[in-house]
Amino acid sequence: MSDAPETVGVSSYVGSPIIMATVRVVMPFVFTFGLFVMFHGADSSGGGFQGGVIVGTVVLMLGIAFGIGATRDWIGPRLPVALVGIGVLAFLFTGFGSVLLGAGFLEYSVYHDLGIPHATKYGIEFVELAIGVIVAGIVTGLFFSIAAGVGGERE
Amino acid sequence: MTPREIAVLVLSLGAVFFAIVAAVGLLRLPDIYARAHSTSKSETLGAVLALAAVATSYGLGHNTLKVVLLLLFMFLTNPTAAHAITRAARERGIEPWTTEDEQ
Repeated sequence: MSDAPETVGVSSYVGSPIIMATVRVVMPFVFTFGLFVMFHGADSSGGGFQGGVIVGTVVLMLGIAFGIGATRDWIGPRLPVALVGIGVLAFLFTGFGSVLLGAGFLEYSVYHDLGIPHATKYGIEFVELAIGVIVAGIVTGLFFSIAAGVGGERE
Repeated sequence: MTPREIAVLVLSLGAVFFAIVAAVGLLRLPDIYARAHSTSKSETLGAVLALAAVATSYGLGHNTLKVVLLLLFMFLTNPTAAHAITRAARERGIEPWTTEDEQ
């Protein structure tokens, strides 16, 4: 255990061309599949939580292929927090928006009065998208927090 | 039996055979490299054959396209995952298993 940080340190990490090529090919499909799962939450299996995890996995794959330190520098410390904040605000905006229009919390059908067609369907999908953004941000943030180690040192 | 049913049966039997080979290899082989060797090849083939059986039983259509895409990505990602795991094991300095007289 004593010499483990030297051998596993990200600075000495040499990327594997096989993993990099596969991640490059698969990444856009995984991202699209995540969105697909999110939008299918309303009327079939799937939903914001599963879709968000799949979208968050894209960042995990980047970290595994190109090195966690490089990916963390590329993503930056603010983006995961910003995603979680935007998602929560979008959810609350949708939820309390219907209350302001005179209906219950998350009662989507009231948005029909604003001229949005199929208000219930699009309302559910918007909320699923917000949940997905939250989950993707949390998965990304947790991955980098765990990879940073106990002391939080940036390796 | 129709030709399609025979094809589904043959593909399923192949899938079961390779899945069993992968499971036996995973349980009986001595170390991570040998186990990765067993699971990456046999398990990929087992999963791909099972998905091919599913695609054949669906016939042409929307569902078949999804299953074929799944099959394609299984072929790509499963060996890559095994490669990543063994590479990480190598990086951590795990020595491959050898018999006594080889040492």
